[in-house]
Amino acid sequence: MPKGDMAGDMAGDMAGDMGGDLAPKIDLQGVGKRFVTREREVEALQPIDLAIQDHEFVALVGPSGCGKSTILNMIAGLLPPSAGVVSYDGAAIGGLNRAVGYMTQKDTLLPWRTAADNVRIALELKCRAMPWDEANERVAQMLTLVGLTGFEKHYPAELSGGMRKRVALARTLIYEPETLLMDEPFGALDAQLKLLMLDQLQDLTRQRRMTVVFVTHDLGEAITLADRVVVFSARPGRIRAIRPVALPRPRDVFRIRFTEDFAHLHESLWDELKDEVTRGTEV
Amino acid sequence: MVRRFDPIVLWQIVVGLLLLAAWEAIGDISGGMWTSRPTLIAVKLAGWLQGSLYPHLATTLTEVVVGVAFGVSLGALAGLVLGRSPIAAGILRPIVVAFYSVPLVALAPLFIMFFGLDMLPKIVLVGTVVFFLLFFNTFAGATSVDQELVAQIDLMGSNRRERFQKVVAPACSPWIIGGIKTAMPYALVAATTGEMLAARRGLGFLLSDAASQFDMTSLYAVLFILMLLGLAISEVTAWAERHLLRWRHAQG
Ligand SMILES: Nc1ncnc2c1ncn2[C@@H]1O[C@H](COP(=O)(O)OP(=O)(O)OP(=O)(O)O)[C@@H](O)[C@H]1O
Ligand SMILES: [Mg+2]
Repeated sequence: MPKGDMAGDMAGDMAGDMGGDLAPKIDLQGVGKRFVTREREVEALQPIDLAIQDHEFVALVGPSGCGKSTILNMIAGLLPPSAGVVSYDGAAIGGLNRAVGYMTQKDTLLPWRTAADNVRIALELKCRAMPWDEANERVAQMLTLVGLTGFEKHYPAELSGGMRKRVALARTLIYEPETLLMDEPFGALDAQLKLLMLDQLQDLTRQRRMTVVFVTHDLGEAITLADRVVVFSARPGRIRAIRPVALPRPRDVFRIRFTEDFAHLHESLWDELKDEVTRGTEV
Repeated sequence: MVRRFDPIVLWQIVVGLLLLAAWEAIGDISGGMWTSRPTLIAVKLAGWLQGSLYPHLATTLTEVVVGVAFGVSLGALAGLVLGRSPIAAGILRPIVVAFYSVPLVALAPLFIMFFGLDMLPKIVLVGTVVFFLLFFNTFAGATSVDQELVAQIDLMGSNRRERFQKVVAPACSPWIIGGIKTAMPYALVAATTGEMLAARRGLGFLLSDAASQFDMTSLYAVLFILMLLGLAISEVTAWAERHLLRWRHAQG
């Protein structure tokens, strides 16, 4: 089934229950999270239900502190939910979920490895049998893809914030995990470079038919890439709205922003989001 | 980087020469009973360099190098293991701290009784001193490894060995190298102290021998050699640090 159609189908059935034959890839059922620190308890996420299908691209947007990163951490198995169950491929996640590639909000590059070696570590750990030459070639290709040719031998301390993000992106993409979790991957990039990266990401995730959960602050980015956009309320996070993006694929990331459908969707999503953003800052 | 001549160096040389001249003058006036004289010391050193110095120098250096090798590897290993396993740390760390509360040079007589008069007791003493410094430094490093880095690598499928090799050990390397840098001067102190107590060879032996004969010239000559040795050691470790930790202060 082509991707555009799938998103279209889901438009009719937004209640969360997807019916029998489509078992979700990632399934959050009544998942909530509260953090207990020394003095106080923070409710980061109120119990939510969210099912993400195989090969689906879902964008999560919402005000700062609403629990977006927390959701990704739970899907990666780095954090247990305090209520409900997170399942992956039908089984509850207990411990690390190694089926996912996770590009975290903070870049977690190894400071003692050069850009190229940071990308290579993914191959060292995931594709152990790969010959050295082939690994080198793939690393070089990947660095070209994210526009970092010439910086292979630079240490993270010698790269800008946006460059470090792109190294992390290359490292996450190089081993082609079946599911990608990305937490504001393009926040530190300028507008033009961001579009180039969005284009690459769309190509790659469609080619490899990846499932993607993508956190962003940028509604345009979310609409450009996603099959569905999930809007969260301010903390404690709840799902405020889920909007399917029925734009046909493949999408022209450079022009789609100027289409009417895009503008409509952007407006309706912004209506949902703006109350939350203002509410979030008042509290 | 091009080295350019720095006028400060010229002044350093001038001041140094003036101090030596003053020393020479004082020695001349007072007869040099307690102060000796730079010229006498220079002659003494030149004589030693003909050959008699080398066995002593070699002895001290061997004690330092072998002791440091053992102390660093055992100390870093213990620090890494305890730093990464809270249970083992809970049991063993208080014991290590208790041992460390003994002034370590006070162990020298014990080691001499156990291991005789040759190099072995000094090597053990140097190793002990270095072990503790390395242990505490590496332990601090191992407990402060960025858990997000570890999680990221685990998520990519690392096993225990790979996690250790690719994250924990490199993350601790600045702490280990920092430990070695602090430990080196102490290693020299431990070796010479051991030799001063009981030895047949070594710079410490030369020192106590000269003192017992009121041979001030030899005494100053040994001190001069120890000073050069200390400088050389700290230069070498600083160079090694810069070289090994390029990634940390990598700014061009
Ligand atoms: N380890 C933690 N301990 C205590 N509280 C935490 C912890 N991690 C997150 N929180 C709290 O949970 C809430 C949600 O955090 P989270 O990082 O998921 O937000 P976010 O939606 O990703 O925000 P942003 O867009 O700013 O990245 C925040 O209010 C934060 O204070
Ligand atoms: Mg976040």
